[in-house]
Amino acid sequence: MGHTARAGLVTATFAGLILYAGAASADVVVVVSTKSPVDTLSRSQVVDLFLGKSSRFPGGRSAVPIDQAEGSDARNAFYLAFADKSPAQVKAHWSKVIFTGRGQPPQAVASGGLVKKVLAGNAGAIGYLERSEVDDSVKIVLSQ
Amino acid sequence: VILRHPSAGLEAKDMTCERVCASATASAGDRLGQVAVALLAAVLSASTAHADEPVPDPRPPRLSFSGFGILGVVHSSEKDADFTSTTFKPGGTGHTHDWSAAVDSLVGGQLTVRPTTKLSAIVQVIAEQKYDDSYRPSVGWANVKYQLTPDFSVRVGRTILPVFLLSDVRQVGYAHPWVRPPIEVYSLVPVSSNDGVDASYRVSIRSVTSTFQVTAGRSDSRFPSDTPSGFATAQSRKGIALADTFEAGYLTVRFNYGRTRLTVPELAPLFEGFRQFGPEGVAIADRYDVDRRLVEFVGAGASYDPGRWFAMGEWGRVRVGSVFGESAGWYGSAGYRVRRTVTPYVTLARVEAKGSRSDPGLSIAGLPPPLAGAAGGLNGALNALLSTKPVQTTVSVGGRWDFRKDAALKLQLDHSQHGTGSAGLLSNLQPGFRPGEGVYLFSASVAVVF
Repeated sequence: MGHTARAGLVTATFAGLILYAGAASADVVVVVSTKSPVDTLSRSQVVDLFLGKSSRFPGGRSAVPIDQAEGSDARNAFYLAFADKSPAQVKAHWSKVIFTGRGQPPQAVASGGLVKKVLAGNAGAIGYLERSEVDDSVKIVLSQ
Repeated sequence: VILRHPSAGLEAKDMTCERVCASATASAGDRLGQVAVALLAAVLSASTAHADEPVPDPRPPRLSFSGFGILGVVHSSEKDADFTSTTFKPGGTGHTHDWSAAVDSLVGGQLTVRPTTKLSAIVQVIAEQKYDDSYRPSVGWANVKYQLTPDFSVRVGRTILPVFLLSDVRQVGYAHPWVRPPIEVYSLVPVSSNDGVDASYRVSIRSVTSTFQVTAGRSDSRFPSDTPSGFATAQSRKGIALADTFEAGYLTVRFNYGRTRLTVPELAPLFEGFRQFGPEGVAIADRYDVDRRLVEFVGAGASYDPGRWFAMGEWGRVRVGSVFGESAGWYGSAGYRVRRTVTPYVTLARVEAKGSRSDPGLSIAGLPPPLAGAAGGLNGALNALLSTKPVQTTVSVGGRWDFRKDAALKLQLDHSQHGTGSAGLLSNLQPGFRPGEGVYLFSASVAVVF
């Protein structure tokens, strides 16, 4: 088999592999408890908290990020909108962190309602919700 | 700390063909099957994650298990030499196997325990082809970490030395785009484990985060060799490594320095032999022996990853006095994520060992015949070691397809052009091998995390 034949095989295989990735486009906002002193955060501050690059709010209070379930629209939209990362890119990021002992991903809860429950009981928690789920138990600190 | 020239392993492997060729062929199929079953079982058990808990606990769990694996095959166009992914592996693809699953396949698991919020411990076990062609699991990480503050931590135990941007996750194929990180750079310091202590301190200034890490320790790494034991050992002692990683948005920049004292006890008899030949032999031994040699490494790397595409590059140089000399390598790689699912990429890489690939050795003229024969043997062994210094330039094209959320398929085609008189990073050279030419490699693998 010649080298060009091999290169052709590679090209053909990849051309055949391109699939429609699916575009989650829910309107997601970043929220904290109304008891939190934090009022606003920048996109990079939020991303650093959720990707484990930082563990504190500006000012030094410790932050507890709360994820939504893998595969949920809210989660996919959050990471795409704020971190520019697909679910696989987020997973690749955490595999770098986990397998070097540098940390663990945020705990995930199964719904937006549970995010609000956790935030109600923890002034240091930070989560994200679809905009339609926002009520007066939470405070928006960043929108798209 | 293990800082070692790749030639150590290459030379040793060149002499091990009989053992490897005999044993590897028979059992390769069995092993491939074992790895496949392990990976499959792992993937299947992965999808049992979340149940509906009424009151979620936002703290990380006390006990967690994570795993990773690669199932891959590699084919080489060169039949008179072998390609392996690290100097720790015997055999490979080319001469020993037409298609080899041993080059890239592996499976690893990690247990993390967090008795308190500040204290954690991890144990990571990996099964892959080893120096003796077995797949006995070995412990890559086993350490206790104490998080003194959110930004300052200390670890005691076994870690993987993070010499390069990806060296501590190079076995976690899911974490990087390629079939394997470019060996022109990653084989400069074929990092095994480090037994010792390290401390990590993170400081953020505006939008830039700097993580400074200092590591001290020792290690013993075995690589294949034709010694009676079947292996040789790179003993690293009094090692220290410094790394500073700067992160700002999509940009990561990293600087490294490391030093250690390297001994390969299996090479001692060769240089003791030289020392029997008076001042000339002593001078040769002093120049080339590997006995508590100072090894120094410097490196720098950067990556930029705004999501839809990435570009990264690294450079490193390792200086070992002794027969291994000095080598430098670099690579640059870039890729584009099509619909964030398929990532075609290209990589250009080069490694270049400095210094002469031969030495006249002992003067044989005038020696009585028996001594002349012994001197000729020593000269031959020394030149065999010197001749393995790699010079090669590699162009790679490939792609990664994230076909499900925890698995990626990767295909890659490499062409390596060897420098004049060099076998590049190939090993197990056969009589028909012609240095200074080149080799094509085709690799396919599936990388998973669970």
